[in-house]
Amino acid sequence: MRRSYVVLVSLVSIVFVLAYVTTYMNALGSICSDTRYLAKLFLALTYNPDTNSSLKYFAAMSPEAVTAIVWDYRGIDTFYETTVFFMAIIAALTIYRGVTSPASTTQGNGLSLIVKVVTKLLIPMNIAVAVSIAVHGHLTPGGGFQAGAALAVVSVLLAVVFSGSSFDKLNISISKAVALRSTGLLGIAAVTFIPLVYNLVTGVQAYLMQSYVKADAPFAFPTHIWGQLISGTLIWLNVAEFLAVSFGFFVVFMLLSLREETVRKYLGVGDGH
Amino acid sequence: MDMTLVLTAIFSLIGFIFTCLAVIEKDLPKAVVFSAVQSAAYAVLFYLLRAPDIVLVYVPVSVGLYPAALFFLIGKSERVEE
Amino acid sequence: MDTSFLDRFLVIFALYNLLATIGVSIYGIVVRPHITKKIISLTLLGDALNMLTIFLGFKPFSIPPVLLKTDVGSEEIMKLATSAVDPLPQALVLTAVVIGLAVNLFLIFLALQVFRLYGTLDSRKIKELRG
Repeated sequence: MRRSYVVLVSLVSIVFVLAYVTTYMNALGSICSDTRYLAKLFLALTYNPDTNSSLKYFAAMSPEAVTAIVWDYRGIDTFYETTVFFMAIIAALTIYRGVTSPASTTQGNGLSLIVKVVTKLLIPMNIAVAVSIAVHGHLTPGGGFQAGAALAVVSVLLAVVFSGSSFDKLNISISKAVALRSTGLLGIAAVTFIPLVYNLVTGVQAYLMQSYVKADAPFAFPTHIWGQLISGTLIWLNVAEFLAVSFGFFVVFMLLSLREETVRKYLGVGDGH
Repeated sequence: MDMTLVLTAIFSLIGFIFTCLAVIEKDLPKAVVFSAVQSAAYAVLFYLLRAPDIVLVYVPVSVGLYPAALFFLIGKSERVEE
Repeated sequence: MDTSFLDRFLVIFALYNLLATIGVSIYGIVVRPHITKKIISLTLLGDALNMLTIFLGFKPFSIPPVLLKTDVGSEEIMKLATSAVDPLPQALVLTAVVIGLAVNLFLIFLALQVFRLYGTLDSRKIKELRG
């Protein structure tokens, strides 16, 4: 182990010397350059409350530039990223095909009483924070995926502190979690295809995943409800993505907490060599 | 001498040191804990680089979900690497 | 604006630390023979590459890309547009984190299945047992 620590210290000192030489000879230029032109465009067009200017045809009506880029300016990228995540969950379910574990075989003890009481106090706080991050995604930093990952920690806590049998006691089965996940994905698909249905029914020009008026397509989702800003499609997409991601993680951690003897018996593999 | 830039340099150095320790370590649960500490340092570094959306993704995913899934894998298979 | 020698040195030091982290994690993927260690090094590589992408959009002494009020005129929007960090790399890194998470979770499930079928997770022994 002495040799590894010598290698580590020498790597750090090489990095230090190289950085000093680079700064001394001014080799990388200035670090405070101007903002790029594309970044200036995204930042200037993302929120325009003045509805009389012609800039409203490029706006996303959301004061948060990153959420507007993720769901409005580059919304098809996020659509396909959700598809990739869906494929990973399908792959996990395929490896565990045919495994059903009756409740009598998953009796476990979990951790001690102090940990159980503290966790019972913390789980409602976790759920409240996750829902708040999802619903406020268009006003402050946050959004659908952040909230889904925050709720997934609840499933890890249930599997570790209360042992794998807690999912049966709370009446959450794997098929129910997959069904809720599919509801979230259907929500995203519905919001994407509503402009197309509107075009087929009334003949007014509208584009897929359109959120606000464009120069040749006067279709728009409502931007204010009862005086509060909801930014068109952004809030519905954030809530649907929150449902889809959090229940996807529930499925993964429910599968990982099954006992090995049960899984081996159902999959028909041996005990290894 | 700006405090933000000094903290940027310090936390990137912490991230690099814990990466080296995680790759060198032969006891696998300790390596997972070192990678979780590296992810915590990177979460602070993302905040210092003015990217608050990514901090909210990083803290549950890299400090909570990856070590949990890796501990499930280590518990069901081998624990020490040779 | 002109920056002092110390400010430039600190930013370039952080950048070179990041490049060294990428190198060490690639060493961890290629040289170490245990499959779990390879998976850990893959997560470290993904983190370092995402951090490098955010570094490309960073400008010292600036503000995050968020408007703080909703009743703004055009001069506040122009102030945000000229003095905020680049929001496009942050949106791309969000997508990259999700895709990296999906791939790493799938790799963990595959490693579990390999252990059930071969009894070991050392890639040198799996190469002899295969077939």
